[in-house]
Amino acid sequence: MSDFSNTLSTLILLSAVLLMACKRTKSYIKSFRLQSFLIALAAGVMGTGNMLKDGQFELIVVCLITIILKVILIPNILIKTEAKVEHKVEKDFILNIPILVIICCVLIVFIYASISNIEGLNEGSVNLQMVNSISIILIGLLFMISRKKAIGQIIGFLVIENGLFVTAMFVTNGMPFVVDMGILIDLLTAVIIMGVMVFKINDKFDSINIDKLRNLKG
Amino acid sequence: MRSLVYISVQLSVILLVAPLVNGIIGKVKALSQKRKGAPFLQMYFDILKLLKKNSVVSDTSSWVFKAAPYIFFSSATAAALLVPVSTTIMLQGLPGDAIMLISVFALGRFFMMAAALDTGSTFGGMGSSREAMISSLIEPSILVSIFTIGLICKSTSLPKIMIAMMGFGFPLANSVFILTFFALLIIIIAETSRIPVDDPSTHLELTMVHEAMLLEYSGRHLALMEYGAAVKQLVFITLLVNVLIPTDQLISIAGVGAVAISLVFYLIKVIFISLLIAVIEVNTVKYRVFSIPNLAALAFILAFIGFLQYFVFGGIYV
Repeated sequence: MSDFSNTLSTLILLSAVLLMACKRTKSYIKSFRLQSFLIALAAGVMGTGNMLKDGQFELIVVCLITIILKVILIPNILIKTEAKVEHKVEKDFILNIPILVIICCVLIVFIYASISNIEGLNEGSVNLQMVNSISIILIGLLFMISRKKAIGQIIGFLVIENGLFVTAMFVTNGMPFVVDMGILIDLLTAVIIMGVMVFKINDKFDSINIDKLRNLKG
Repeated sequence: MRSLVYISVQLSVILLVAPLVNGIIGKVKALSQKRKGAPFLQMYFDILKLLKKNSVVSDTSSWVFKAAPYIFFSSATAAALLVPVSTTIMLQGLPGDAIMLISVFALGRFFMMAAALDTGSTFGGMGSSREAMISSLIEPSILVSIFTIGLICKSTSLPKIMIAMMGFGFPLANSVFILTFFALLIIIIAETSRIPVDDPSTHLELTMVHEAMLLEYSGRHLALMEYGAAVKQLVFITLLVNVLIPTDQLISIAGVGAVAISLVFYLIKVIFISLLIAVIEVNTVKYRVFSIPNLAALAFILAFIGFLQYFVFGGIYV
């Protein structure tokens, strides 16, 4: 079972790198959907293992809620938001994509070198999963500072959240149910509010480029 | 005697199956566009017909132009001998390894680019400059992914790697190997000029890479070039399926029966990978030339994370 978790955690990390390599808003929403699906799959695999072992079904419920919220609902909200604001093709990122991907690579090397031999997590496989998950958090941060559009910022925030969720899930074998539920519902509210904010920004500044937020408006 | 059997089986399988891969990919593409499409064997007919025709050679070209098709085809065929199609009949002391494989391909590619420059046409020069760019971007990821597998199996010789991989059962359940699998898939698409990198079916000036280099060729020279490209594609697919999806450990009998069963497995795997490539080709559009570094960076990082996982965690948890 741990074999599948290793592979799934690596695939989730890969989807984060894939997200970094995406150029258009639609394609990174799609990659985010893929990442969330993989996370739901990992939760489902671990939940099934837990259920067979000691009859806990909490992770399976979390898996279903993740599918509903992160795979279906939140990407749909983002796609709708993106469709309603004005379409403008503009350069969306500060550095070009190959350099961003190589910076991702450097971040991953940094994380691997620094926390791969933490004491206390005795099994190597748990270490691998944790290292992968923490790399996702840093990639999310890099994504957030590398995109200029407001929707990119939202996606970066969601990727950081995904990374935290995955770290907690792999290290502790599933957090308490109430905590997970609280975080997920918070997330939905946050995305709805941020979507409204994007509309407002678009109204005021005629663009969702966050560089223009510095302009003074009466 | 044993080496004679090996060479004949190897050459006949690779040379006979190579055009079929293109046939399958073409058929899937046609079906996805609600066309009937050419028959599976179309490329065999094309090659036979072209081989019967004389080729026209420009007066201004030198010997490189005439020699290049033969060198390209024979380098592809030599590469075909380095990658065993089945572990049941391969030679243990096979000379040459994975690094040799890459350099043999590089020889063929060098002469193809030189021949395209030789005639002095604009398209040839454009095509060869693009090909040089793509190949230099993709080569690091080939080397890193092959070295990762080589470090795990403690050899760069392909037969030894294949035997060692059979000990892992189903390697793709392992994170290091699945990273290498995706990296090799991107490499195959880029090396064999498939759609996100190059469109094999178009003759539009702005987009073609591989076709631009073949533009001046006709008759039997063209046949050799296209056949060589198909053989090269099949050699890469063979490398992917026989290293990362080994099936020969499932065979319990020995002798001729084992060879036959292993070849049937091999064909099934090749068809599966062809379908996968066709699905990728149907679902993507051709990238701009300046977007290809993005794809190459992705292939490199896939190979590199696998390498890193091997290095930091000492390989694999089977």
